Order: sequence, then structure tokens, then C-alpha cells
Amino acid sequence: MNARTRLRLFVTRELGHALRARWFLAYSAVFLVGGLLLIALGARDTMLVGYRGYARSLAGLVHFAILFVPLMALFPASSAIAEERENGTLEYLLAQPVTRGEVFLGKWAGVALAVVLSITVGYLLAGGLAVLRGVPTRFVWISYAYLLLLALAFVSVGLVLSTLAETRARAITLGLLGWLALVALGSLGAMAAFVRWGIPSVALVGWSFVNPVEAFRLGLVALLDPDLGLLGPLGASLAARHGATTILWGTALSLLMWTAVPLFLGASGLLRRREGV
Amino acid sequence: MIRASRLAKAFGANVVLDGLSLTVTAGERVALLGLNGTGKTTLFRCLLGQLPYDGELLIDGLDVLRDGRRVRSRIGYVPQRPPHFYGTLGELVAFFGGLRGLDLHAVERRMADLDLSLQENAAKSVSALSGGMLQKTLLALATAVDVPLLLLDEPTANLDPRARREFVRALERVSTDTTVFLSSHRLEDIRAVADRLLLLHRGRLVFDGTIDELEAKAGAGSTLWVRLSDDALERAATVFASDPRVAVHRNGSRIGLEASSSELPGLLAELGDLGVKVLDLRTEAPSLERLLAGFVDESAP
Repeated sequence: MNARTRLRLFVTRELGHALRARWFLAYSAVFLVGGLLLIALGARDTMLVGYRGYARSLAGLVHFAILFVPLMALFPASSAIAEERENGTLEYLLAQPVTRGEVFLGKWAGVALAVVLSITVGYLLAGGLAVLRGVPTRFVWISYAYLLLLALAFVSVGLVLSTLAETRARAITLGLLGWLALVALGSLGAMAAFVRWGIPSVALVGWSFVNPVEAFRLGLVALLDPDLGLLGPLGASLAARHGATTILWGTALSLLMWTAVPLFLGASGLLRRREGV
Repeated sequence: MIRASRLAKAFGANVVLDGLSLTVTAGERVALLGLNGTGKTTLFRCLLGQLPYDGELLIDGLDVLRDGRRVRSRIGYVPQRPPHFYGTLGELVAFFGGLRGLDLHAVERRMADLDLSLQENAAKSVSALSGGMLQKTLLALATAVDVPLLLLDEPTANLDPRARREFVRALERVSTDTTVFLSSHRLEDIRAVADRLLLLHRGRLVFDGTIDELEAKAGAGSTLWVRLSDDALERAATVFASDPRVAVHRNGSRIGLEASSSELPGLLAELGDLGVKVLDLRTEAPSLERLLAGFVDESAP
């Protein structure tokens, strides 16, 4: 019995669990309907402004994704381990010849695969329609990759909370508070602080790379509008200084770090509660 | 098989294991006894490598903290409460059997030994199964191959009397090469399974011996209750009142002869020698509290 076989067992179990719990199908449906609606609305604008109309509808999809994707990743991830702890399965699981890191990695892989499949079903249908209407394929693929990075980052964060929180409810509450802080305080709060206390613009830009939600937004805006004119003079200056490609890679790296660091901590078995399970 | 030296574990200021040292040799059947909160479950979690601790703990010569996965591959474990597994019995067996690298046919055969058909029950939801069926399934998973060590953490605590009897019978079929380490509150289970008893109190070992030795040391024996006719009752009471091995109790038409368990067959024979007719009889094991009274001073800090 090698580690890969054990990982496969966890992934199969988590996928089965996702399908049985029906959240997988519900998220896919919401994403699909949301995507199709935005693409359909974009079709009207196309009459006036060409494929950029679809770009605008995809920008709408970005805002929809910022609200929806972290939640669809956080809910199953923050339940994954805390729920097993609450119902006694974790204690039995950790009595088997597996390591704490393998349990974390197996759970992560299973939840991540379910979330990725859910996004893929919803987004690629909407994205495919957009391509048929003239939106460049590159545009659809990069935004798809960004969506996956955002989702994986929140799967990692959710799983860390699930490992450390005593109960599933507490893990989900912490996840929601974190999401609220990153989405609401992360953008509006940072803007308010910028205006109210005159925080240097470089700090605001730095924050956009540190906060995964802002990194996602900044990356997608750079994809839609390489001049970053949508972000005002600060955005234009940033684009002029570094270029859209650097911003795209920088924000992608930020999202990768949000995925990798919690995953490393969990997979190395460093995260544990005082009670052991 | 198990060697613990100065094992210590505290949660904040609460010391749960206080320098515990013990040795269990291969093939022994040992019961761990103690009141709630005395450190039994913490000791099991240490044995499974689920908790960090101070001191040294070796299983089959392997350090539990350093070689956790290898140690656990040598342990079959049955918990007090079966896990709430989402899915069918077949999925549970495939998942946990897979993690242990077991041949599923071996698990199926072991389940059949325990009067449980995997084929008939594979499609049933785990939540619809009785506690007894689940515990037997976990026992089958734990013993599908001959593991060096079987850890049983109060495995019959949540079973009804019939399921408990079946589970204990199933335990009797475990290979004699396997070391059994059982935690339980039930003396009848301990008596059926274990030949050595460890008494844990406030994280320390306060007794190590057989259950008869514990009874003798605690001055609390089992009681043989017999129903006799009125004249026979008086005769028996008079004879046994002067016997220093026996404490006599009366309850209506019954007389209770309390002595160490090993004396009870002899007492029954002596009743026969008196020429009295026994109308019915039952035995009563001493309560856990009574047995522990001599060792456990709850008023101590």
C-alpha cells in the first residue's frame, strides 16, 4: 500500500461524498446559470462594441466569481476535517496506517477536484458560448485558470481552518468571517483607509497582491484592460511601470502561494489540535 | 509488545498520565480498568501516535512518535463508538480495508466468521446498521490479517447485552498470537477476554495482576445467590456464618455467599453436601466501584 493508493482512496471517497451531498451539482448549476446569463447580456453590447461586450460580461462574471467561488470552496473544505472530527471518524482514521499529512493531502485533493469539476462544468459551457460569439479563446482560458487558482486558494484556507477549529460550525464561521474580511474590508476597506488616512499608494498596490481576492480581481482586470484604466490613475501608473503581463504573473503567483503555503503546512503534519484529533 | 517508560501527558495544568510505566509481552491479553477520566483514552491515543507525550513508548520495538505509520500498521483498533461513515457498508470496508492494504476477501471471510455477511449487507447504508454489526465489522477489519496488537477501547460500551455477548464471543476467536489490550468498565467482558488486569487511577498504575488477585486485595468477591426452602436457608446461613472465607447476605428466600470467584464452585458443592435443594441460583460479580474502593481515594487531591 503506497502513498499514491492511499491518496486515490481519499479522493474517491471525497468525490463520492460531494456527489452524495449534492453541493457539487448545486454549485455547478449556479455557476452555469450565472455564466450563461452574463454571456447573454453581453450579446446585446456586442451589437455596439464588438467582442469587448463579451469582455464586459466576463468582467461581470469576475465579480460574480469573487463573491461565489471563495464560498463554494470554503464550505466543503472547512467541513472536510471538522465534520470527521465531530462524528468520530477522524479518530478512527488516524488510528489507521496513514499519516496526518496524508489525511490532509487526501482531503485537499478530493475537495479540490470536486470544486474544480464544479467550476469547469459551469464555466466552460459559458466560456464556450463566449468563444462562439467571438471572444478570444486565450481570454476564456486565462480567466478559467484564474478562477481555479482562486478556488484552490480557498480550498487550502478552508482545510486549514477545518484542521484547527473544534467543530464544523466554527470552521465555517471562521471561513465566512475571513471571506467577508477579504472581500469587503479587502477592497472597500482598503480604499477607505487610502482616502481617510492617506495610506501610500504603494501599500494599496501591495495589498492587492497579498489579498487573494484582490489579486484575482487585479489579474483579471489586467487581462480585460491591459492599461488598467478601469482602476483609475493608480492602475494606469502601475500598468505603465510594470506592464500587464508582470501583473498577471504576480497576481497568479500570489494565488499560488495562498494555495501552496497552507497545503504545505497541512501536508507536513504541522497543523494539529492540542487534543490530537 | 508494549513498553511504556515514564509516560507523561498533560493538557495544560491537567495531568492525565503521570509517569506511567508498563510492559505487555507478546500474546498477552490485558485489560485496562479505571474510572472515567483516569487516562485510559489518553493512553490509547498515545499508543496510536495521535498525541505527543513525554517519556518513551515502544510498540513491537518501534517508537510510536517516530514510526507512527509503521506502528499503526501493526495495530488493529476498535473504538468505543463506531465512526459515522457516510456511505454503505461496502464502501466503509473498501475504504478502511484499502487504507490498511487488506485483501477484501480476507475481510469478508473474517466477517463471515463473526456471523456477518458482507455480500448481503454491502449496499446497506452504514447509518442504518446496528451498533453490534458495525463493531463486528470494525473487529473484522482489525483482525482480517493477524496483527501483532489489537487495541480495544471500551468496544462494548454502547452495545446491548446480546450484541455484547456476540462481540465477546468474536473476540475469543482472535488468534492467540495476537496481543489484546482492552479498555473496559465491564468486569464480565474483562473476565471473558483478559488474563491480566491493569488498574489506572489519576494517570498512574495502581494495580497489576489477575482479577482474582484484585478481588482478594480489594476484599470484594463475587456473590453466589441461591434460592432455598426456609429450613434449608436457616441451615445454610448458620453453617456459612462461621466460615471466614464467606460473607453471608440475606434477601427474602435467597442467601448470598460472597467470596472470591475461585471459591464459588466449592461453595456450591458444600451446599450440596449439606443436603439442601437449590431451587435456583445466579452469580453476581462485585461492582467496579467496590473493587476499586481499596485503590481509589476520590478525596485525595
